[in-house]
Amino acid sequence: MLTVTDVVKTFKSGDQTIKPVNGVTFSLEQGTFAAVLGKSGSGKSTLLSLLGALDKATSGDVVVDGVNISTLPDRKLTAYRRDDIGFVFQAYHLIPNLSARENVMLPMEFAGVPHKERAARAAELLTQVGLGAEMHSRKANKLSGGMQQRVAIARALANNPKLILADEPTGNLDDETGELIIDLLRKLAHENKTTILVVTHDHALATRTDRRFRLARGQLTEDGVQAA
Amino acid sequence: MEPIMGVVSRSVGNAFRNKIRTSAVVVILAVAIALALSMLVANQGVGSKVDSLKASVGNSLTINPAGSRGGLGGGQPLTTADLTKAAAVTHVDSATGTLAVRLGNSAATSNSQTGGSTAASGNAAPTGAGGRFGTSGTTSLVSAVAPGQLGQRNNSNGNSTGGSGSSSSGSTAARPAFSIPIQATGVSTSTTATGTALNLTSGKALSDFAPTSTQSLVGTTLATKNNLKVGSTYTVQDRTMTVTGIFDSGTVFDNNAVYLPLAATQTLTGQDGQLSSISVMVDSIDNVAATQTALTSTLGATNVDVTSGSANLQSAITSLGTVANISLIAYIASLIAAGLIVLLIMIMVVRERRREIGVLKAIGASSGTIGAQFTVEALVLVVMGSVVGAVIAAFASNPIANALVSGNTSSSTAAAGRGPGAGGGGFGGGGGGGGFERARGAFAGAGQLIGTISTSVGWQTLAFGVLGILLIAVLGALIPALLTAKVRPIEVLRGE
Ligand SMILES: Nc1ncnc2c1ncn2[C@@H]1O[C@H](COP(=O)(O)OP(=O)(O)O)[C@@H](O)[C@H]1O
Ligand SMILES: [Mg+2]
Repeated sequence: MLTVTDVVKTFKSGDQTIKPVNGVTFSLEQGTFAAVLGKSGSGKSTLLSLLGALDKATSGDVVVDGVNISTLPDRKLTAYRRDDIGFVFQAYHLIPNLSARENVMLPMEFAGVPHKERAARAAELLTQVGLGAEMHSRKANKLSGGMQQRVAIARALANNPKLILADEPTGNLDDETGELIIDLLRKLAHENKTTILVVTHDHALATRTDRRFRLARGQLTEDGVQAA
Repeated sequence: MEPIMGVVSRSVGNAFRNKIRTSAVVVILAVAIALALSMLVANQGVGSKVDSLKASVGNSLTINPAGSRGGLGGGQPLTTADLTKAAAVTHVDSATGTLAVRLGNSAATSNSQTGGSTAASGNAAPTGAGGRFGTSGTTSLVSAVAPGQLGQRNNSNGNSTGGSGSSSSGSTAARPAFSIPIQATGVSTSTTATGTALNLTSGKALSDFAPTSTQSLVGTTLATKNNLKVGSTYTVQDRTMTVTGIFDSGTVFDNNAVYLPLAATQTLTGQDGQLSSISVMVDSIDNVAATQTALTSTLGATNVDVTSGSANLQSAITSLGTVANISLIAYIASLIAAGLIVLLIMIMVVRERRREIGVLKAIGASSGTIGAQFTVEALVLVVMGSVVGAVIAAFASNPIANALVSGNTSSSTAAAGRGPGAGGGGFGGGGGGGGFERARGAFAGAGQLIGTISTSVGWQTLAFGVLGILLIAVLGALIPALLTAKVRPIEVLRGE
């Protein structure tokens, strides 16, 4: 369960202050597959970074399973990012000189999982996201974009997080591959009971999610809520 | 163990991500480390050399009549009264007098005198003054050193000292039979004139120091030449002496000598109460300089010269001290250079991988883990640089150390070599005083004293080397590692 209450993020650039996130409130049940839509520069990434504890909100609360991460000390935030959150980025951000398997093993290494166990789980996860065994020991920078994003999703799943945050995961992929990735995320949300929040500006992809939000002028609104 | 292995293997992998840059860094680092190690080795080598030089002289001082050195020059002889005065000076532990005389062969004495004056042509004044004074007595012993072996030093050729035009090479050929006098040193203990113990190869040390004593110690070469064994007899003046022991002082020249009881030597040569040199032991090396001054003023600067072991020792130690300082500064400077190389490269690497550090933090790495990873990566560079550097140093340190030493002592060596060299013609006739040992010391320059610096690697060198390299690692690895802690996880979204 993710509950966001009146979150504000202010940036000061020069004598100008911008508030890409200005009083956002929403909540997601565990296992929901949701999308946030918005124009470029509307603050989608900023909102995601606040949910994933990559950055601190100026005000407001982000509560994950009863824990308010806005008030956690730095050390606890590291543990939160490691154990409760999985990130998927537009540019994949795999460690290029490590193999697919080693990349997936990294979060487990940080969590102190024994080597044998994490190697086995990494292989399992890679197979689950549809990466053939022959690709597991290939260097990350030798994989195609679609494959890299699969590895990134497997890495995000590694420590069984409650929440996966994906920032334009299909932005660098062709439509067909993008669709496969979205299908994969939806399947994971439903099968693993993982809450997945996907940021995108692709309306076609957004239609395949359970819930759709729109971010504009710092405010978040849910599609179809007013209509209902 | 488990998480450490992951960090280490990742760090090693990262160190080789940019192979060309890593190779270049390792080479530069290796050169700097090799230089540092060579300087350290030179420093340690010089340090132990200084110690051994100091130890070789120890805390002894030698008093000679003013104007005489190693039997060269004149002056009033020292007396037993001087010995008593010297012994009373503060910090003097003991003072022993010796009387060195030269004994001509009873059969060849007249010939040698003739030979000497013949060779000393008009322009050889310095030779005459410093060189040949007469023998103080005769002996039945025949010198083991043939004059031919000493060549020009025996004034057989006027050119060697006069330096004006060629007199005649014929004079060498026409040189009459000539026998080298034998060095006899009257001692009151079984030691050399400079106070070092004699190395006896057979027999016993002197025990009867009475004026009527017939005991004597004979050098190995002289004993062989004259077929002497322990118990054999020979004559000095009109007294029949017995060989009590046979000694080996290490060189043919010094072994062509005898040691007699002091009182007997004085009586036999008619020099009662006279001494040619006094050897003084100072209570500690630190007091040597002060005692030297005190002895000079007590006995009168016009009467005596007080010298410590070798005149060149001080200059040798000073120039070695300069080398030690230079090498220490160079060691520290090369270490700092090596540290800066690592530091700058690692700062570059951290900047380059800012985004990746952000990714690692976003997926749950702690700052400590990332800091450790970059520290180990820097250590991999340092270790590779050290290994290559140590190999380079193994080949380069010896030449570097010796080049440093010769570069810094050449001037004093030249000076020392030239000065006494002018009077060198008189060497063969010398030895009337404190012994050849000191005379030769004057010829040997500081450079010869220093010899070559042996650059063996001891535990101290290793410890300092490891310490220095650790310093590099700390400087070069820790600062960049700390910088990684400052990278915020949000960096991962920069520029997306
Ligand atoms: N660190 C920052 N400092 C100043 N302004 C920022 C910073 N990060 C984002 N912004 C601004 O906030 C706005 C929202 O950015 P972002 O969340 O990246 O938008 P989106 O992901 O929807 O394209 C943009 O105008 C951007 O310039
Ligand atoms: Mg964005």
